Amino acid sequence: MSATTMPAAPAAAPVPGRRALALWIGLLLILIAAGVAAFAYQFATGLVVTGMRNTVMWGNYILFFMFFVGLSAGGLIVASAGRLFGVKAFKPITRLAVLEATIAVVLAATFILPDLGRPERLLNIFLFFNPTSPMIWDITIVIVYMGLSAFYVWLYARADLARRGSWLALGTGTSERTLAREERLKSAMAWVALPAAILLHSITAWIFGLQISRGFWYSSIMAPMFITSALVSGMGLVILLALVLRRLGRLRFEDDLVAMLGGLLGTFIAVEAFLVFAEYLTASYPGAPEGAAVARMLVGPYAPLFWFEVGVGLGLPFVVLAIHRLRRDPRAVAAASGVAILGIFVHRLNLVLNGLSYANIQLPPGLPVGVDQGAGTSFATSYWYVPTAVEWLIVAGILAFGALLFTIAVRVLPMQEPEAH
Amino acid sequence: MGDKVSPIAALSPASRAWGEIGERSEHPRWGMVVDQERCIGCWSCAVICKSENDLPLGMWWNRILTEGDALDQPAQARGEALEMHWLPLACQHCENAPCVKVCPVQATYHRDDGLVMQDNDRCIGCRYCMIACPYGVRNFNWGAPVRPTPYETGMVAARPVGTVEKCTLCVHRLAEDQVPSCVWSCPTGARVFGDLNDPEGRVATLIRDREGFALLEEVGTKPAVHYLPPRRRNPL
Repeated sequence: MSATTMPAAPAAAPVPGRRALALWIGLLLILIAAGVAAFAYQFATGLVVTGMRNTVMWGNYILFFMFFVGLSAGGLIVASAGRLFGVKAFKPITRLAVLEATIAVVLAATFILPDLGRPERLLNIFLFFNPTSPMIWDITIVIVYMGLSAFYVWLYARADLARRGSWLALGTGTSERTLAREERLKSAMAWVALPAAILLHSITAWIFGLQISRGFWYSSIMAPMFITSALVSGMGLVILLALVLRRLGRLRFEDDLVAMLGGLLGTFIAVEAFLVFAEYLTASYPGAPEGAAVARMLVGPYAPLFWFEVGVGLGLPFVVLAIHRLRRDPRAVAAASGVAILGIFVHRLNLVLNGLSYANIQLPPGLPVGVDQGAGTSFATSYWYVPTAVEWLIVAGILAFGALLFTIAVRVLPMQEPEAH
Repeated sequence: MGDKVSPIAALSPASRAWGEIGERSEHPRWGMVVDQERCIGCWSCAVICKSENDLPLGMWWNRILTEGDALDQPAQARGEALEMHWLPLACQHCENAPCVKVCPVQATYHRDDGLVMQDNDRCIGCRYCMIACPYGVRNFNWGAPVRPTPYETGMVAARPVGTVEKCTLCVHRLAEDQVPSCVWSCPTGARVFGDLNDPEGRVATLIRDREGFALLEEVGTKPAVHYLPPRRRNPL
């Protein structure tokens, strides 16, 4: 172990007082209220209050849906793979990773609601289930996975809750036999959770990747690429949250773990970059019409976003994490994690925008936009999607809801895994 | 849909005869042929479609694409010759319809006669069908409809906000043995409606004799709408 390792929990860790906590929760509640109000307004008026139109019919909500599915799958893959392959070093962050996965999938499911034109008909999904629709299977796996990961969170916290005498232990005890059985159950759960997490994000990828109508998405690399995106963003968020919780004195672990997770994150970023390159090289090399979308992505109006993804989202954090000295500095790893998460978000934004912004049949006048354009034309061969304030308010409200869930969970649930014997 | 009184009953016998579907096989699969040689890009079919089906401003089930640089610039230099062609585009009523496959709630479905229908009382407005459609012929009801007149012009009921709609091949007219209104109204007779299952019928014969093609054949949707390529012998 390196001599420069800092003490796990600094003595002067600034534990926030009741006042700070109350302020934080107050802020979250205000954001949630604003989000609910915006959703009510959108529900009453129609999706015309969003920036979406017939030409770009999916926007911010779907973008955040797949982003959070990724954050969730990434977190659970890290946690369950650690358990499955006996990576003892992961132990301190296992509970955090599982909790992060659970809250992220709840948020992902929430993001579906405002995207629907008729959210009040949501139950039709169960009544008129169409088995050939990837969306049906995605919703099914989201629900199954939500239950699995919530049970997983409880399983890890249960023994500690029982010792505290909390009702959340649901009357279970802490006898030797119970604990031994629980260890076996945890291992069995890892066997279920890992494929479930991979399935969750693969099916989300197939919502896009199976559509031959969208040449930009129609690729067998979509599912693998979604999995690596999930690993990058999920691992990044777990690192950030772990460092925050350590700061707040809720979690103890050595800097060695941060360096190790940072190294893994760097590897995930490299694989993501490789898949991105392989995909776009294959799409553009023949010079066929299918490559036009890639050409537009490289030099067209959305090009700055793509080059941001490459330079800031992939290149910068990879370089930081590849340098041994920087990887040993938790602040550098935290910064790299932050930009890597942002990079994955922009990567998904690029997927949506470049997949949808140009009409399939590029003949004038193009597609009908779908709403009254006044004196202007109703048609467009391409469309520049910009989310409206209503969309951002709803997004902010759902994000605040997630932050609130997380804040409550880390106060109620014991986050520290007992030291390995 | 279809709970309005049809004005077809009020037509003169001559008008009625002009719109009759005519011969068909025992189990018809309805289809259409659009002759690019005859189409003059006048947008009559697109406009009557809006009126017939009560489409609000900004929405079009049927539109005319110009083969050229801009809506009003159809001329393309091809060596010495100039050509002018249009591509009228509405729902292709595909046999292998991507929209039917992806709809999570089976709100988009096939009728026995092959028409792709939309149940607006079931649609949840997820717009996945619009993602899946390679032709871009589906419209979403984004908000309260804006109409040019306060009078309802449509022959069918308006669709609710938050759901997807598209060309129905005028099912309400088919029920009265009348061709879709785009076919009925075309001033050059560029559209022919009929039964694809009848090998000796007009539609099947035209596709055979004129080497009719389907749009975006490479995506394998098997449309019910076919196009006849222009064979102009004397260029402009």
